[in-house]
Amino acid sequence: MAITWRAVALTAFGVVPVLLVPATAVAVAWTLLVVLLCAVDIALAASPRQVAVARAVPGTVRLTEPTTSTLTVTNRSSRRLRAVVRDAWQPSAGATANRHPVDLPSQESRRLVTRLLPTRRGDRRADLVTIRSVGPLRLAARQASIEVPGRLRVLPEFASRRHLPSRLARLRELDGRTAVQVRGAGTEFDSLREYVIGDDVRSIDWRATARRSEVVVRTWRPERDRRVLIVLDTARLSAGRIGDVPRIDASIEATLLLAALAAKAGDRVDVIAFDRRVRAQVAGASGPRLLPTLADALAPIEPALVETDWPGVVGAVRQRLSQRALVVLLTTLEPAAVEVGVLPVVGPLAGDHQVVLASVADPEVAALRAGRATSSEVYDAAAAERAELERAAVTVRLRQRGVEVVDALPEDLAPRLADTYLALKAAGRL
Amino acid sequence: MSSAPVITTHGPAVVGDGTTAASRARSRWVRARWPLAVLGAVLVLGLAASLFTPRTSTRPFAPDNPADQGGRALARILERQGVEVSYVQTSAEAAALAQEGTTLLVVTTFLLEPDQLDALAATRADLVLVAPEWNGLSALTDAVDLGFTSDASTLREASCTDPDAQAAGRLRSQGQDLIALSPAATLCFPSGEGGGAYASVEGPRRVVVVNDSGLLTNDRLAQDGNAALMLRALGAHDRLTWYLPSLTDTGADPQPSVGELLPPWTGPLALQLVAATLALALWRGRALGRLVGEPLPVVVRAAEATRGRGRLYRRSRSRGHAAAALRAGVAHRTAARLGLPRSADAGAVIDALARATGRTTGQVADLLYGPPPTDDAGLLQLARLLDELESEVHRT
Repeated sequence: MAITWRAVALTAFGVVPVLLVPATAVAVAWTLLVVLLCAVDIALAASPRQVAVARAVPGTVRLTEPTTSTLTVTNRSSRRLRAVVRDAWQPSAGATANRHPVDLPSQESRRLVTRLLPTRRGDRRADLVTIRSVGPLRLAARQASIEVPGRLRVLPEFASRRHLPSRLARLRELDGRTAVQVRGAGTEFDSLREYVIGDDVRSIDWRATARRSEVVVRTWRPERDRRVLIVLDTARLSAGRIGDVPRIDASIEATLLLAALAAKAGDRVDVIAFDRRVRAQVAGASGPRLLPTLADALAPIEPALVETDWPGVVGAVRQRLSQRALVVLLTTLEPAAVEVGVLPVVGPLAGDHQVVLASVADPEVAALRAGRATSSEVYDAAAAERAELERAAVTVRLRQRGVEVVDALPEDLAPRLADTYLALKAAGRL
Repeated sequence: MSSAPVITTHGPAVVGDGTTAASRARSRWVRARWPLAVLGAVLVLGLAASLFTPRTSTRPFAPDNPADQGGRALARILERQGVEVSYVQTSAEAAALAQEGTTLLVVTTFLLEPDQLDALAATRADLVLVAPEWNGLSALTDAVDLGFTSDASTLREASCTDPDAQAAGRLRSQGQDLIALSPAATLCFPSGEGGGAYASVEGPRRVVVVNDSGLLTNDRLAQDGNAALMLRALGAHDRLTWYLPSLTDTGADPQPSVGELLPPWTGPLALQLVAATLALALWRGRALGRLVGEPLPVVVRAAEATRGRGRLYRRSRSRGHAAAALRAGVAHRTAARLGLPRSADAGAVIDALARATGRTTGQVADLLYGPPPTDDAGLLQLARLLDELESEVHRT
């Protein structure tokens, strides 16, 4: 049940008869008349419970990209349906203008399109569809809320994909280089080609040259079919907000860029999200299926307010890897947590695999460190300085155990991690 | 990822919310029954409280006051004898009720204005004046006046021809004696000085004067002949107006109330506007569907721990710790910039910095390894000096 502004106006219009015949009975009678008219109107309104509602919604959308939710409304009653239909979504689905006026003759359908512009990664759910059916006098309405399920998976934005072309170009540069430039444990013989001026004479393949009339050099390419395992730490430290987004979103960005790059480089990429148990994993996906699978698996991950089980992480890594691989730990370089968590277990792991620890740094700490205006700002600056020193110290201890450390601001982490990967690949350390 | 096809899922058509009129009514009833039960209980209790609470007052001489100084016993007995007792507190009401063939009881008169006394004098009811003051007595009868006060403890005999007084027999009076000014007045219960406690004046209207208001109180009604005297004096007619003058009633026409000054359409107009306001509230108050909730991630700033440590430094005034952190940071960065190994000791760092900035080793050593500042201003100064030093160091 609901009334419209017309019912309010009609009630207010009652002051005219009241002024003409100033009696309490007139006021009471007018109000009763309005109530009666509203009751008649409600009785004549089409039932909102005889409206068929079907929802069509895209399964996934990337963050910051607009999409639509479409309701198909069919009037199954014998009366004309004049209504307002509200397609309610969770707030961060970004449903604006979700109230649709509808005027449907009996047995007809109409499509109502609600624009969605998600503001946050994860699964967004549609709430009830509310239909307010107004009577022919437009004084009062019947209202019903109907559950029409719908889910929109908002994928990570992958803003770091703009770094992908330049990194792919660098990857191609690695291919076809002569041996001296790139030669190392991780390079393998690629092909023979004709010598051109500028090639290192040490890469001339004399045996092949002898068989032909021209001078031939060997070329090398980086090793392919290496394994890359990305471990995404989803425990409490990943919940800390940097700017307006949790740390984990920057980690996911870095994961996506590295996975895209490594897949193009011909490596096998596996991803697990872990805090005290495996929260999500992508294994065995390759080619064009990798990134959609990865984005879909990582989209609904939310930080859990628990401490990371690092022995569990190592166990999960060992279970998945038999040969030497690149293990990327996307976590936080928080001195105390690293001290008790990562350091005790990372040594043996770094012996078997190439381990990279990537951490999201906080620009706020850097800003705090520069504060000099008041004495309290200097105290904050001293605290930030101390934190930086501790991070530096723990970084040194990690490097001593053979772990590469990448500590970068949220927007820099993905390209920096990709660069580290390229450097390791170029050095043949995978 | 950009090549991922957008798969649109089409859900089944949903009709209705699975309720019927009966189930909705039932769920409404289930929702509303406890509030309704509570409301009903409150109403019933309130009604019971108002019904079972005796309507009493604490005003002396009032017919609804059951205390010692009240007059409820007398009023109850009169009612049981078939006398209709009307309790009024304004002279206008008293004058309106005091028709011919009724009794008007006036208890004390010192609160009455001359106009009010004139209004009472103009009525045609029989008058019973209890403990009147001079102003009332002179306005309402010219046959009786006040005399002296005599001994209250003396038991007085009726000693007159008035049948009421004779029926009462004897009483004790604590009031001011009455004296007769004209032969029409019959004076009873005389004291030694010649004044009486009771006077009746026959005439077109009968006027009875009783000098002691205590005679009608619950406390003293049962003493001596009090009950007989008062019951006979007040029960002469079927209707009794019990007038107890009040402080707030001056007899003048009351100030016109705000309501009377307003034009006649104000009330209905206000009613209509209230109805319109209610309609407005209903219109705006009915939401188009419920609010939608969403679990949001926790809001913890990642730098919160660092800020907390800064606050700890500040609160404990740990200038030593703060200065050490700033100095260590500068030493760490400048040493790295100058290409010193991490294992370089303080002396090596000081020498390298002195060479790079052109300062003396003493200055650099004092800045980097000097005593901690003693106050906040010193800390601030140290921070600025360290910044200056750091800015002078360039990669060699």
